[in-house]
Amino acid sequence: MSGFGMELLGWVPVLPLLGFVVLFLTEGRLPDRIVAFVGAGSVGLAAVFTLLVSLAFMESGQAAYVHTFWTWIAVGDLTVNIRLYFDGLAMVMTGVITGVGFLIHLYATGYMAGETGYSRFFAYMNLFVFAMLMLVLGDNLLVLFLGWEGVGLCSYLLIGFYHEKPENGYAARKAFVVTRVGDTAMALGLFLMFRELGTIEIQSALILATDTWPEGSSINTVIACLLLGGAMGKSAQVPLQTWLPDAMAGPTPVSALIHAATMVTAGVYLIARTHDLFLLSQTAQLMVAVIGLLTLFIAACSAMTQTDLKRILAYSTMSQIGYMFFALGVGAWSAAIFHLMTHAFFKALLFLSAGSVILALHHEQNVYRMGGLRKALPVPFFCMTIGSAALAALPLTSGFYSKDEILLISFDLPQYGPFFWTIAGLAALLTSMYSLRMMMLVFFGEQRNEAHDHSSWNMTLPLVVLAMLALGGGWFGLSAVTGVLPDGGLGNSNHGTWLVWLTAAIPIIGVLLGFVLYRNRQPTEGTEETGLQGFLRRGWDFDRLFDATLVNPFTRFANLVRNEPIDQLYNLIVTIFETLNKSIVRTQTGQLRWYAANMGFGLALVFLLALVLG
Amino acid sequence: MTGTAIALDHVLLLAATLFVIGLTGVLVRRNVIFMLMSLEIMLNACGLAFVAAGARWAEPDGQIMYMLVLSLAAAEAALALGLILQLERRFRSLDIDAINELSG
Repeated sequence: MSGFGMELLGWVPVLPLLGFVVLFLTEGRLPDRIVAFVGAGSVGLAAVFTLLVSLAFMESGQAAYVHTFWTWIAVGDLTVNIRLYFDGLAMVMTGVITGVGFLIHLYATGYMAGETGYSRFFAYMNLFVFAMLMLVLGDNLLVLFLGWEGVGLCSYLLIGFYHEKPENGYAARKAFVVTRVGDTAMALGLFLMFRELGTIEIQSALILATDTWPEGSSINTVIACLLLGGAMGKSAQVPLQTWLPDAMAGPTPVSALIHAATMVTAGVYLIARTHDLFLLSQTAQLMVAVIGLLTLFIAACSAMTQTDLKRILAYSTMSQIGYMFFALGVGAWSAAIFHLMTHAFFKALLFLSAGSVILALHHEQNVYRMGGLRKALPVPFFCMTIGSAALAALPLTSGFYSKDEILLISFDLPQYGPFFWTIAGLAALLTSMYSLRMMMLVFFGEQRNEAHDHSSWNMTLPLVVLAMLALGGGWFGLSAVTGVLPDGGLGNSNHGTWLVWLTAAIPIIGVLLGFVLYRNRQPTEGTEETGLQGFLRRGWDFDRLFDATLVNPFTRFANLVRNEPIDQLYNLIVTIFETLNKSIVRTQTGQLRWYAANMGFGLALVFLLALVLG
Repeated sequence: MTGTAIALDHVLLLAATLFVIGLTGVLVRRNVIFMLMSLEIMLNACGLAFVAAGARWAEPDGQIMYMLVLSLAAAEAALALGLILQLERRFRSLDIDAINELSG
């Protein structure tokens, strides 16, 4: 019986693909109701199947279930199968993608209602879910890479969904190009891994790596760092983070699904999946921790000063993924995946609530033009409160359990532990402060704009379900990844009670501090872009740095090359002969007497020369 | 052989003078027929120089060369007059400056 349940795994990625194919081939000729039914229904059914598969899988007690579709490539020693690999880690990821994905699709059926390109939107969203599922379920690195690039493509298509505005196209291209930098590193890592180990099946490669390479071997460190590069690009970690705030140009459900809950956590998944490589290399693992730490701090500071509601959430996403990287780096593997899951719940909730607020204000995203909306928009207010509490990691919310775990384990790290803990704790303090700032600006104070609640049931229901998950998603821990990840599950940090209490108290202190700071502050409309505030608002000026060092020189070079400098050289030769020709042609007047005079003159010259020289 | 022989220098000077007169005529006149006549003068200047030189060294070559120049002048006149007829027919003009279609 359990075997039958697990057979359904094959349908999980296929259903969204079918949804995409149907929507793609009909090219928007279907009525909106059917589009919504196909788009959300395919993911919903995939979620149900995932639930059945997970139940059967847990009942069976197997370590992993493998589902083979067909052999994709067989050349020499290389055999690539389209094969799904389902273990505890894949189960969590698949559950998040299909479950949260379905709720966001359902919400989007209401949010996108009446927009042009309704069908196109759901086609891309379904394709995204398919690619993301292939990413987390693929049992070899090539299929994983296929999904990896697939989600990148869908991210590009959906950021640029409102393609009439050129700046959205720019944001989409920026996201694509910046992640491509990471992807190049990752592809190199995969090539190197194949050359060194001769296999790209993830599981056998990892076993082989552990067997053949000694701890701290340099080739392993290089591969791990290259994979980390790919993860950094996809997960918007410093210094490849600049695309994420601009990616908010896409519709809000896209931001919720791709740029908060699923795709941006792919990097975390990749590192967790290939954790053996990072265990072998202390350097690489420390780099993961440092990059996570940098990102979580930089992004938290930037989130403090944003004026755009979605950009606040984008920077907080970056910061929370920083926490996940940090967790992976300090060896809190399970806590990282746990935080990935709870973050998917509360950040999707926050984005969808923000979407409701933005829709109610007719696409106003500036928080300084909101305010006092708690009476006009009770459901988004209630949901966003829960989401912010979970983001701030207030006790008893889901975010508290995961973030607390990360902070406590980080303290254990030899040598750097207390230092890391201090920075991460400081960022946690900032997190609760900017969460409170956001809530105060949007929902409290005087109302500065008319709000019309357009929410129908299909927008409210996902909010309520996600609110419940954001609240209670952390109560039961995460036992699924216990056998998969090397730290043996959650709750194995033991500390003096003072540290536990202090860590738990950080968010509360932050909220109180934020309350004191933001209670009476009148937000100024014309906020200055100078000084520290502007610096933080522009995301620590990474954009300017990259523009000055990379983008502008490249554009200048491209402009130079566009004028064909080499062709100019050849054109010069032509020009020389043309001028020469023109000057000689001028003597060819057609006047016979002129020719005769010249002949006489030339003859005289010859005789003169003969006389003088002879 | 009676009378005083004329010095070669004088004859050559005359030939050169005739030649320059002819050349000037070719360069200055715009009527094709007058140019042709100037050309004949130039040819005869050459012939005179040949004959004088042949007489000076008592060789027949100078006279033979003059025969050649003479036949050349006859052929040239025949051809040139034919061309002039054609020019007159096509351009309705004998002005050489008006006939400059072969310019670069």
